[in-house]
Amino acid sequence: MGYIGDKDKEYLKGEFDKYLKENVKILVFTGDNCQYCNVATALGQEVAELHDAIEFHEYPVNGEEAKKYGVEHAPTVVITDGDKYGGRIRYVGLPSGYEFSSMIEDIIDVSRRDAEVSDEVKMQLQMIDKPVRIQVFVTPTCPYCPRAVRTAHRFAILNENITGEMVEAMEFPEWANKWNVMSVPHILINEDVQFIGAYPDEQYIKYVVEAWKKMK
Amino acid sequence: MSIGFVLPSASKENKEVDVAIIGAGPAGLSAGIYAIRAGMSAIIIDKGNAGGLAEEAPFVENYLGFEGIEGEKLAKLFKEHAMKYVEISERNEVRDIIMENGKFVLKAEKGEYTAKAIIFATGTTHKTIGVPGEKELFGRGVSYCVTCDGYFYRGKRVAVIGGGNSGAIAAIYLKDIGVEPVVLEYMPTYMCEKAYQDIINEKGIRYITNAMVTEIAGENKVEKVVYKDRTSGEIKEEKVDGVFIYVGLIPISELAKKIGVETDNRGYIKVSSKMRTNVPMVYAAGDVTGIAGQIIIAAGQGAMAALAAYEDLMLK
Repeated sequence: MGYIGDKDKEYLKGEFDKYLKENVKILVFTGDNCQYCNVATALGQEVAELHDAIEFHEYPVNGEEAKKYGVEHAPTVVITDGDKYGGRIRYVGLPSGYEFSSMIEDIIDVSRRDAEVSDEVKMQLQMIDKPVRIQVFVTPTCPYCPRAVRTAHRFAILNENITGEMVEAMEFPEWANKWNVMSVPHILINEDVQFIGAYPDEQYIKYVVEAWKKMK
Repeated sequence: MSIGFVLPSASKENKEVDVAIIGAGPAGLSAGIYAIRAGMSAIIIDKGNAGGLAEEAPFVENYLGFEGIEGEKLAKLFKEHAMKYVEISERNEVRDIIMENGKFVLKAEKGEYTAKAIIFATGTTHKTIGVPGEKELFGRGVSYCVTCDGYFYRGKRVAVIGGGNSGAIAAIYLKDIGVEPVVLEYMPTYMCEKAYQDIINEKGIRYITNAMVTEIAGENKVEKVVYKDRTSGEIKEEKVDGVFIYVGLIPISELAKKIGVETDNRGYIKVSSKMRTNVPMVYAAGDVTGIAGQIIIAAGQGAMAALAAYEDLMLK
């Protein structure tokens, strides 16, 4: 018995059949003394088994591949084409609870090699010409969090300077404490600009631009 | 493990339907099932996830057929059921509605939807209390969502402001995950159902009545909540690390008002017994009508609204 129920598998297969185009890789980085690594691996494998376009790989968090993709924590789940998106669309901690749907949506977008934003937001995204890292602290029981995670990931799909990183605050309490995370979604950009809440793209991008401007 | 569901972030779309349902909480999902079964075409559009505020309820014990179920699980069952019939477009905010050739055009994040009828199942959002410290300390101990943020306070003390059903459930949930809650209620008696009152007593949760909260205070994060004892007039305080605010809800009815839908003075949409509003072909259901704020009633109202739309669209 796996983590994903039969009914859900059937539904996901249908969605993948409809929407997957190019290949997608699910990379799971695991390490020692990692409470949820086994679950992350199992989840990644189960999802990959649902469609031929999805590949699954597991790598040690202290190895070469982790360096290549800029991964430092276990478990980290990266959704990528292996090339253009590198390790920029990622989940530090388990993409479980509500975040499981974010991961599925990421797989679809990465496979389409595209994501949807309005023209106005697209124009602002094009300005970002230096590396910007958007971290979204979440809890798996927060219904508003996936929206904030997906926005970071959609931005990362559309601009190669942007990294979108979900951080599961319960699995990484010290990290969350360091940034005084007490309400989620808590968004931290370049370890500098912060806001709380699942804002629409138009407001979200303003914070991203603010952080980018501060780099000049 | 609960995985919720997904809808693809499809490209901009244009759709034409008989009924557009705004909001995928219990009312909207139920309306969707009834609309399709009646033979109409329909779409449900929600700015967030399907499920509505029901998702935030830690535990639901008064929905027929379920002795006790997490709100999140119940919402997922609703959604799975509705998805068998009707398309649900999530994370798709409707931003404007205009009339064109006698039809409604809904301008949303992911596209435009033309509909002959609209059901507003837009629900409510959390009300703020409006005391000093609430805004300033939001995200630094002040929260409105216990399932989102409760875990940050394990082993700590928090205040739940508002002792109605939502506040009572929040306090019970907090106690269960290892937080020490105290409930501050403005009214002189328990404002929650007797069933919750019993659990509160059984679990030894403090429930202070006649407490008028005047301030949430702290340097960089919440340190205490200050309240006036309405019987003695005395100013008292509780030292806490967090404050969860459950002082009621406000209806999300701005879009409805924009197309001429009448609301009461608190903003709840006025409906007839069949969920019709004053604007022809516009209906409302669920918490946005302000009738009871109960999942089972929202679901019933959603069904009624779809049936009324069917009568007006198909039988005339």
